[in-house]
Amino acid sequence: MSTATHRTTPSTPGAEEPLLRVQDLSVVYEPVGAPATRAVREVSFEVGRGEFVGLVGESGSGKSTLGFALTALSKPPARIESGSILFGDVDIASMSAEELRTQRQGGFAMVLQAGMNTLSPVRTIRKHFHDIFAAHRHVAPGDRDDRAAELVGRVSLGPEVLDRYPFELSGGMRQRVTIALALSLEPQLMVFDEPTTALDVLVQHAVMDTIRELQAQEGFTAILISHDLGVVLESAHRVMVMHDGRVVEDAPSEDILRRPQHEYTRMLLSHFADPRAEHVALPGLEAPVAGTATSAPSASSSPAAGGGLELRVQGVSKSFGAPRRGAQPVLAVDDVSFTLAAGGATALVGQSGSGKSTLAKLITGVEKPTAGTIHVGDAEVGSLRRKELRDLRRSVQMVFQDPYAALNPLSTVEYTLTRALTNLTDLRGNALRKRLHELLETVGLTPAAQFAAKLPHQLSGGQRQRVVIARALAADPQVIIADEPVSMLDVSLRAGVLALLRDLRERTGMSLLYITHDLLSARLITDDILVLHDGRVVESGPTAEVMRHPQDEYTIRLLDAIPDPARVHGARPDRGDLP
Amino acid sequence: MSAMSTALTTTFTASIRTVWGNRKARIGLIILGLFVVLAVLAPLVAPYGPEDNGFERNQGASAAHWLGTTAAGEDVLSQLIFGSRISLLVGFGAGGIATVISVLVGLSWGYVRGWLGDVINFVVNMFLVIPGLPLMIVVATYLSNGGISVIVAVIAITGWAWGARVLRSQTRTLRGRDFVEAARFSGERAPRIVFREILPNMTSLIAGGFFGSATAAILAEAGLEYLGLGDSTVISWGTMIYWAQNSNALLTGQWALLFAPGLCIALLATSLTLINFGIDGISNPRLREGSTGR
Repeated sequence: MSTATHRTTPSTPGAEEPLLRVQDLSVVYEPVGAPATRAVREVSFEVGRGEFVGLVGESGSGKSTLGFALTALSKPPARIESGSILFGDVDIASMSAEELRTQRQGGFAMVLQAGMNTLSPVRTIRKHFHDIFAAHRHVAPGDRDDRAAELVGRVSLGPEVLDRYPFELSGGMRQRVTIALALSLEPQLMVFDEPTTALDVLVQHAVMDTIRELQAQEGFTAILISHDLGVVLESAHRVMVMHDGRVVEDAPSEDILRRPQHEYTRMLLSHFADPRAEHVALPGLEAPVAGTATSAPSASSSPAAGGGLELRVQGVSKSFGAPRRGAQPVLAVDDVSFTLAAGGATALVGQSGSGKSTLAKLITGVEKPTAGTIHVGDAEVGSLRRKELRDLRRSVQMVFQDPYAALNPLSTVEYTLTRALTNLTDLRGNALRKRLHELLETVGLTPAAQFAAKLPHQLSGGQRQRVVIARALAADPQVIIADEPVSMLDVSLRAGVLALLRDLRERTGMSLLYITHDLLSARLITDDILVLHDGRVVESGPTAEVMRHPQDEYTIRLLDAIPDPARVHGARPDRGDLP
Repeated sequence: MSAMSTALTTTFTASIRTVWGNRKARIGLIILGLFVVLAVLAPLVAPYGPEDNGFERNQGASAAHWLGTTAAGEDVLSQLIFGSRISLLVGFGAGGIATVISVLVGLSWGYVRGWLGDVINFVVNMFLVIPGLPLMIVVATYLSNGGISVIVAVIAITGWAWGARVLRSQTRTLRGRDFVEAARFSGERAPRIVFREILPNMTSLIAGGFFGSATAAILAEAGLEYLGLGDSTVISWGTMIYWAQNSNALLTGQWALLFAPGLCIALLATSLTLINFGIDGISNPRLREGSTGR
């Protein structure tokens, strides 16, 4: 690992030629009818042969733009404004389309974020391989099947997947296939753009393992682009941290972890914590200490204004019709029972397909349970009529997962909130306006008047999620269901939104059902936890207890899947020098 | 609702800017603009009245009559200029009505579930399988000589079904979005969700559909008039060709009589198609916001 030892770029003459040399690269976006934005600013770096480099940054940092430029996939309105990208000794930017196509064999390849969706749905996996072999003619027709089988073998898949269609494979398997397809051209450089972001936690972990092993075996040069510093630190030898289009830090992973130089890197690192630890804290957010997790106002000290309602789920099951004739119906939720105390906070944890979102739909009355009952206070949700269901919205509200999708892109914040207030409360005119400003202030969007006039695209992800929360709060609900409210947000924004949710609960005494796959956030803002697996509750109890002493194997696997750079690099990071 | 109107104004100006930014669309807008100016200012621009038939018949091009005169002794250029009024009127009238019907049907169809959807499906499919031109001919003959409004109605009735189908599938996609679900959680009722939350997000599809139907309407109007199924006393590009054909204009060497209105129809249809190229950009917020991240 000689490459991981040199601190930064200036290449020592006489040493091995770097595979990729980027000099003063700037990429600019020039959309029609809008001002141009510079996404990558004067970036220079080198990547040596066989090196595994991570590229980390939050959304908008320019990391993907850089990745696209490196593999000559930049499309208008993006344009390489200045600088050069030398791959070996050719400048990528000046290559013609045909030169680019032929060099893809033995040159560079890219695995995309939603790579599993890049497979053609009407062709088998075998045909995908044959297409590539035929296009580059580097494998003799007779050897193609063997070669394809060997390639899928390298990404830990059996040869039987070759005869499957993409839709017959899971997301993780498809992502492995795209990696194998990229490998089939024996590239010298592989760029992975968020290869696991669209996958489930457990699958994510397994795919990253495959990538790591492959890189060690095959010795190709890899650039891993990710927003998740944990994933990158676990895998890469060297990490480049991007912020606002610039590389602000470029150092071996060990150094990034232990001796981060740049303020921004330190900030990113400070948002990592191990949910299993006794004390867990993020900037501005501290979890209740294990064993004393009884911060919920108990029934006796029931809070004043608003207050919470008890949520009682008893033996609830939900099955969906069989996908095909003759197949078994899908049992999404299987005999789940729990009680969320008035004013309590419970986490519902599990990977996708575990039934947690279905449970949320059942509780909010969007779907009706096949069996069992759900009570919110005295109302039985399953038996409500449409009119009564609308009344239920006053007491049960929902915070959506994706703040980029949960707001109508054409409505101002004021309109969005006004509608909720008009429909769910009796406030009108000035009182309504006053309440609207109050709401915005509650969620920390001040000055309220200024934010009220904004359109969603003028707000950051964190601000949008605050608007979504404000809308949910419009009618002073007694129960809030938050469905992965921070999973789409940058790490630096997560703590703020989580702290807001926790403070709101403490102030108003509402009950919170927090749905997530992220155990760290569950540890930080909830008192109790339910772990769901295949629609069944496999473990439940006080959050801190379950995290510190997990009993079920599935819970343990979930906990293990959390990227932990410290585990790879020996010990826990020394946090003494962090601000 | 000032918030709503400002939002719409912002969207509208941004849309115009997006369309104008596309070179093809800009050419289309310029051509269309010229025709509109010509149609509005026809009495001022045209050298003679469209129905003045006091000139010598079957004249070739001359300084007094740039495009010659018809078999009835009318000035071809003046007829051409006045004829643009009918084409634009029918195009935008029939296109507009067809678009309104397709929006109403498409959106409600996309939003409802169950048997009602099947009923609408049946009706729309019926309009789709009946061949357009024969249906138009049948209806036009049945309502013969009802004037230009009949033509508009006939074209609108036969032209909305395809747009409805397109809008229905887009509505289906949008109704699954979080913001629609969120609107339901805010206590919104179905009509408001459909027309206030979903509809504005389909502006580009609707605008595209409108220009598409307008093009089809202009061509259909010319076709019907040419077949003599319209009101042949009205002066339009279609009737000009109809009369030119009747008087064997090509045999007498008066190619301008056929060629000029034909070219105008083609140009107008082309301009609308060109505008449609630019409309794609409206729906793509990435192009508008110019951001790369999310």
